[in-house]
Order: sequence, then C-alpha cells, then structure tokens
Amino acid sequence: MSTSIDTLESVGPSALKRLQSIVGNQQFILLLVLVALVIFFGERNSLFFTSSEFSNLLIDFSGLALIAVAETYVIISGGIDLSVGSTQAISGVGGGFAMQSLMNHHMSETGVLLIGAVICAGIGLVVGAVNAVLITKANLVPFVATLVTLSAGAGMALVFSRGAPIGQNPEAVAWSATGIGPFTWLVIIVISITTILGITLHVSKYGRNNFAIGSNSFAARAAGINVKRHIASVYMLSGILAGLTGMFFYIRSGAGSPQVGASSNLVAIAAVVIGGASLTGGVGRITGTLLGAGILTIVTDGLIFINVQPTWNQVVVAAFIALAAVLQSIRPGLRS
Amino acid sequence: MKRESLTSGALKRSRWIGAKAVIAASLAVSSIAIVGLGSASQAGASSKKFSIAFVVGAEADPFFQSMYVGAHAEAKKLGVTLIWQGDPVDYSPSTQIPVVQQVLAEKPSALVIAPTDTKALEPYVAQAIKKGIPVFNVDSGDANQKNITSWVTGNNVQGGTAAADALASALNYSTTCTSASPCTVAVGVSSITTSTDAARLKGFDAQLKAKYPNITALNPIVSQSQSSVAQQGFAQDISAHHLQGIFAIDGTDAEGAAAAITAAGSAGANIKVVGYDAYASNIASMQGGKIAAIISQQPTLEGKDIIKYAVQRLKQGNAKGIPHLLTLANIVLTPTTSQATLNKYVYTAS
Amino acid sequence: MSNELQPIIELRDISKSYGSVKALIDVSFKAYAGEVIGLVGDNGAGKSSLIKVISGVHAQDSGHLFVDGIERHWKSPHDSMEAGIETLYQDSGLAPDLTIGANIFLGRERRRRGLLGRLGFLDQRGMEREALTELEKVGISVPASKRTVSQLSGGQRQAVAIGRAVMWAKHVIILDEPTNHLGARQSQEVLKVIAAAREQGLCVLFISHTLPHVLEVSDRIIVLRLGRVVRDSPTAEYTVESLLGTITGLSEVTNN
Ligand SMILES: Nc1ncnc2c1ncn2[C@@H]1O[C@H](COP(=O)(O)OP(=O)(O)OP(=O)(O)O)[C@@H](O)[C@H]1O
Ligand SMILES: [Mg+2]
Repeated sequence: MSTSIDTLESVGPSALKRLQSIVGNQQFILLLVLVALVIFFGERNSLFFTSSEFSNLLIDFSGLALIAVAETYVIISGGIDLSVGSTQAISGVGGGFAMQSLMNHHMSETGVLLIGAVICAGIGLVVGAVNAVLITKANLVPFVATLVTLSAGAGMALVFSRGAPIGQNPEAVAWSATGIGPFTWLVIIVISITTILGITLHVSKYGRNNFAIGSNSFAARAAGINVKRHIASVYMLSGILAGLTGMFFYIRSGAGSPQVGASSNLVAIAAVVIGGASLTGGVGRITGTLLGAGILTIVTDGLIFINVQPTWNQVVVAAFIALAAVLQSIRPGLRS
Repeated sequence: MKRESLTSGALKRSRWIGAKAVIAASLAVSSIAIVGLGSASQAGASSKKFSIAFVVGAEADPFFQSMYVGAHAEAKKLGVTLIWQGDPVDYSPSTQIPVVQQVLAEKPSALVIAPTDTKALEPYVAQAIKKGIPVFNVDSGDANQKNITSWVTGNNVQGGTAAADALASALNYSTTCTSASPCTVAVGVSSITTSTDAARLKGFDAQLKAKYPNITALNPIVSQSQSSVAQQGFAQDISAHHLQGIFAIDGTDAEGAAAAITAAGSAGANIKVVGYDAYASNIASMQGGKIAAIISQQPTLEGKDIIKYAVQRLKQGNAKGIPHLLTLANIVLTPTTSQATLNKYVYTAS
Repeated sequence: MSNELQPIIELRDISKSYGSVKALIDVSFKAYAGEVIGLVGDNGAGKSSLIKVISGVHAQDSGHLFVDGIERHWKSPHDSMEAGIETLYQDSGLAPDLTIGANIFLGRERRRRGLLGRLGFLDQRGMEREALTELEKVGISVPASKRTVSQLSGGQRQAVAIGRAVMWAKHVIILDEPTNHLGARQSQEVLKVIAAAREQGLCVLFISHTLPHVLEVSDRIIVLRLGRVVRDSPTAEYTVESLLGTITGLSEVTNN
C-alpha cells in the first residue's frame, strides 16, 4: 500500500540550481574571502605573514570566538543576547576584585588565575540566569531582557570599579604571551572550548533541540522538548562564555577593566550573521560563525596593520555585514 | 582659535563617553541612589555662609575626585559651603540637567559647572543668571561665554605639544631619529571626534612637524574608551612597524599601550610610551618602567581656583580682577619626578 | 465498533477557557481502539482546543481525562507521547529548518553506537535512513531525505507530519485537519492511511471540515458547537445535510 504523496514542483533549470548551491554554500565563500583578505594584507606589508602577527590575530580572534559561539547558540534558538559585552566587564571587574585579594594573600599566580576564571564564569552564569528568568519566567522578549542586563551590568561595572581597572596583574599579561609557538595557552584553551561547543551544537541532542526550538518552538514543545528549560540553559551558557571572555581580557590586559567589551556584543552578532545564521532562529553553523569572526578580526587588525585611516575601519566592517546579508538573501530553500 | 578653546574642554572625560550610551538605563536607578548619597555627605548649609553649587560630570572619575579635593579645601579655607553634585558615572547632559535643576532649587549663592555639552546646559545657566546666581565654568566650557563669570580649564593643545617634547626626549631624538632612519610612533585616541582628543592630537602633530621632522606618527588607533581595543591596535602597530614610541592620549589608551608592550615581550621592550592623565594606575605603570612620561592636567588646582574666583565674585559683588578665562598648563611627569610632586598631581580617588 | 469494554480514551466534563473565551464546556466522550472518530464543528467550535487537552499542550480547567482506564494529568505533550498518543497539529508541528529525518525523530533522537554515542553523538545518518523507510511503511514517500522541511511543498510537509504521527502512535492518533494543503488525490491517500491505522487497531481522532471525507472514513462522528458536544452518533446515522445542519445549529438534533 505504499503510495506517494508527491507534489514537489518541478525543479528549475539545473544551471541556476547549481549556481545557487555554490553561492548558497556560504562557508565556502567565506573561506575564499578570508584567504583573499590574508593575501591582500600580506601583499601590502609582508610582515603580515610573520609568526608574531599570526599570534596577534589568533589572540584577537579568541577574544571574539567565545562570545560569538555563545551568540550562535542563542541566535539559533531564536533569541539574541545583547548582554555578552557588559558581562565581560562586570565579570572582569568582579574577578579583578577577587584576584586582587588573593594576590594580597600571596596566593600563587596559577591559583589566582584558576580561581579567577571560576569566579568570572560564575558571575557570567549569574547574569545568564537573570536573563533566563526574565525570558522564561517574566516572559520578556530576549532583546528587552538582555538589554536590561546589558545596561545593569555595564552600570554596575563602572560603579563598583569607579572607572578604574581592577586587580592589576602584570604577571598575567606576561603569561598571556606564552604557549606553543604562535599558539598561546589562552588561544589553545579558547579553541578547545570552541571545538567542543561546536561539535555539541551539531551532533548532540542538546544541539538538535536548539535548532528545533529556534525553528518552531511549538513543534519542539509538542515533540516533548522542555523548551523553557532549554532556553534558560542557553542563556546561562552564553553568560558563562561571556564571563570567561571577561577573564580572557583580564589576563590579556592585566586588569579587569569596566569598559571592556562595550561594543563586542554587536561584533559577535555580526560574526554570527556573516557566518550564515538566521536572526529568526533555526539556522546557523559554528564553522560559519568562526569564519565570520576570523574575517572581522583580520579586517579590524589588517586595516591598522597597513596604517589605514581609522574612520575606514567601521565602514569596511559594515560592508562585510552587508555582504553577509546579500549572501543570506540568495540562499536557496527559504520558503514560507 | 577662539572656537577651539570654547570647545576644547567640553567633552573632557572622553573615557566615559563611550560607556554612557551603554549604561543609560541602569543609571535611571543608580543615579538616584548615588546622587542621594553624595548630597548626604555635603556640609550642612548655614544661612550666613555663601553656598557654592558645584556640578560635574562622571563624578566618580578620579579626575573629578581630584577636583573635589581642591574645591573642598578651598571652600573650607574661605568658609563657604560646597554643594558638590554630579552623576557618578555618566558624562552626559541628559543626566546632568536634572542635577543642575535640583541644585538651583536649593538657591545657592553661585553655580560652578563643568558642562557635559557646550550648548545643552545654556538654558539652565541663563535661568541661574536670571535668579541672580553668578555662573562659573570649570574644565569644560559653555559655548556662550558671555553669561559666564570665569572659566578655569586645562590647555589640551599645550598638553599635546608637551607630549611631543616628552616623547622626543624619551626617544633621545637627536641621536635616535635621523633623516636616514626616522622614528615611527603610534598614537591612540579614544575618539577622533572628541574635541579634547582632537586638541591634544593637534598640539602633538604640530610640534612633531615643527621640531621633530624625523618622527613619523601613524594613523591613530581609535580605542572607543576601551583599553582592550587600544591594546589590540597597538599590538598591530608593533608587529607591522619597527615602532619606537607611543603617544597614548588618555588614561585608557595608556593602559592599553602598557599591556601591549608587555605582551609583545622583546619586541615591545624598547618602545617609549607617553601617556596622559595622572591616574594612579598610570603612575604605577610609569614607575614599573612601562610608561616614559605622563602629561597631567591639574584638576585639583582647577577646583581650587574656581572656588577662589567664585568667592571673590560673591564678596565684592562684581567680577573685577577675576580672569574671564584661565588656562592652566599641563604638567609633564617622568620617572625622575620626585615622589612629592607625583603625590601632588596624581588624581586621587578619595 | 465499540466492542471493547475499556475505552482507550475517556473524557468526563472537560472544560477549558482562554481568559473570558469558553473554548470547551463539559465535554465528555469515549473512544475505543480500532475506531475512527470524526470530530467536526464550525471554526472556533473548540476542536483544536479539545485535542490540545488530550495531547497535553493545554491543561483543562476542570474535568477528567482517562487513558486506558487510568486518570492522567499531562504536564507536557511529552507525557501524552509516552502514553502512546501521537498528534498532528493543525498549526504545523514540524520544525521547518530541520531535515525530514530530524523532524521524524524530534524528541526521540537515537545516539550512535560505541564510544561516540556515549559521548552524546547522534546517529544522524541512521535516523535519516530509517525515517524514509518508516514513512514508506505507513504509505508515504517523500523525496531526498537530507532536505529540510522548508524545502518541501505544503503537501509534502503534511505528509511528513502524518507519517510521523502514524509511525510513532501506539494507541491513539490525533489528526487535526490532515487534509489541509492537499489536493484530491493526496487527500484520498490520507484517508487510506487512516483506514490502515484502524486496521492496526489504533484509535484515530480525525478532525476535518471536508464532511464527505469524515463520512467516508469514520465510524462515529462527534459534533462540537460553541465548545459543547451537540451530537455523538455512529456515522451511519448522518447524511451530509444532517451533519451540516448539526454543525451550524440550523437543524437541531438532540442527542440526549
Ligand atoms: N491560545 C488561545 N488563546 C486564546 N483563545 C484561543 C486560543 N486558542 C483558541 N482560542 C479560542 O478558543 C475557541 C476555540 O478555538 P479552537 O482553535 O479550538 O477552534 P477550532 O474548532 O479548532 O476551529 P478551526 O476549525 O478554525 O480550527 C475560539 O474562540 C478561539 O478563538
Ligand atoms: Mg482548529
């Protein structure tokens, strides 16, 4: 009794189809763009190909990667997290106070940094939990909920720190430059976390649920997924990653600055969008996000590297976001 | 030149400006609480004494904290009441205007204000004048100076000039930078549109051109008041050029510069940094060898002088003998500056 | 048809309001295994609300729900699925950005075997493959598995949704307007699928506005009007006209 319900409309001209599938493979285009950028900047100044510059790029990429991954989870789930920037500041300042007191008690540098990382992640988790409550219990839309925590976090970071960097730790800066060749320990840690979360998103049930909820939360709930609990967990994960990024910048700059990350939420969202995720949820890839973050890092750094007027930087970044939007609109298979 | 001096102080505390957009909502709550705390600490008004309302922007900034020290001491010495007010963290007219309205309701004898905008505060200044309250400017100034009795401010163009001199001397210009092998320096600003930064940069560039032709300044890094952004930019300049020096135009950029040369290891070891603003953290970096010189403003003196002029105006009933504009020079601090002098100029976060 | 003593589903005096809107008022009926029940009524009569109570999307305000003789209180749709009740929702129960296979296995994902499985890796390829064969088994064939549902036609989506319900149902299938978006031929296929499900001993709750379809496939028809059951009789006792009259309330036929 196997019958066929087949109302698929006839497939269009195959040449167009093929073009669409190549253009639609956004990852491939992004990779080409990234390579082209590297060649462009290297052509302008061959020092761009040195190991020290490669190391710089990796570090700057890492400062963006964790929150971009966080934002990928959130955006695929159909939400948005504006608070990832100020969470870095509040956790860097909070962690800075804690580490200052540990240093005053002559704890070893390793101990200070390990405990500092836990505290920063913890502060991030608290911010994420506040977001989770505002979204799943108070039923605020994610944009508004995370705007509240964005503002509150930035304000608190400034008030507590009185504007000054907290927990001066030059040893941490020195440590931030150590590692294996151009791969500093910080970079290695960030890449490891990113890899694990990337795989989780694409092969696990947790990741599958994330896509399903962002695609159609009613369907997800009807299929037995605990949607609210999942959404809550996504914002908490995002908070932890933003908190760890706060620790990252504490180590990198040797103090917890209340201004750190002020605009990085938008950069992270830009990386996700360039990477091909849909702001309406359900669509996205970690590899796309990482390529997006890589492109934004190379553009930002490269323009300084070749000594371009600073005003151009933002214009160029805006151009890349526009490019991403164009790529998205010609992607095939977005009916309904 | 006139226009320049009118606007140069207007957006002085640039490091707060980037943050301001971000924190507006939280301040709705926190500003009430903290302004409340601030007013609780002020001396009780006595009807016989003159009272001087003093409204700043971003009150928690060590720069204004230092100004408070000078103003407070002078008020005490002259026996007047100081009503010290200002939003703790926000440098913006939207939070400053309500504060001004509130202090005017207390009917002070005089109003000293560091306007957070050259134009936005003017109606309130006019309102005060109408009530017979003389108005003074400190640090930043109003666009319309004819209502203002006196304005005491730092000289940012001169600060930039002094920074160029300090950097040249730290580089040992005459032997290190020759026409055959010129020196390259990076510059970090918070924002290229902030008048303070623009004035400092103008003084710096003009002095390089006039006296140090063998120093090339790269296009400025724009830190948006974030030390991590400054650090990222300086790291690029360090690996792209054989960099000899950095001019960090404010405290945030100086923090970023210090971190960038530390992280660069040997590549950063010989880079001379000239920073701006005597924050304690910058002084510590200088003493730790990361910063070669700091250009310091004189907020304590600004606070002291403006109180002095306000009291003079109140006592004599007119502005005779009071300078309409007093521009205080910026001070150069170096590792050889005595500890006593450093203590005098460091911005105290009291 | 109700030859078994124990109804698989029984509702007693179920009421449900959305704020001031009374969607269901004292709804009671029994449904047995191997029976197809047509659930009809005008737009807004409360059909979807009723099945959402049965499937655990909404909780009733009052009244009792029994499954296989045991009173149940669903906390989420997951509970009803566990109890063997599958639902095709009127307003799309599929995630458009997921593949067909991912949708079929949504909420029931299988892990890979071995170490990777223990680390949480899903058996994506296995599920895609099985989804297609299982769909074919229940009489539905759709093109290429790796496609996302958004790339299917409206009819194909509906087919996948029906297939999923039939494939997983152990006791009850609820189909809320399954012939939506479907042409005449495809609608007939759906009716065949329903008949086949009855053969397998499942209880089917079939909601449709296409009265001939309901008359053709059901054993019993329950008519809802303004949230109340106004008639519950074997299909043989209805004609298209009398059914239409009952639905609209123009020809009142008492059921008491
Ligand atoms: N989520 C909801 N919130 C508020 N009111 C609702 C909700 N869902 C349904 N209603 C209302 O409850 C009543 C019954 O709606 P229901 O969807 O059950 O009708 P239906 O019989 O399925 O109609 P249709 O044939 O149009 O699908 C209607 O008046 C409807 O407006
Ligand atoms: Mg309905």
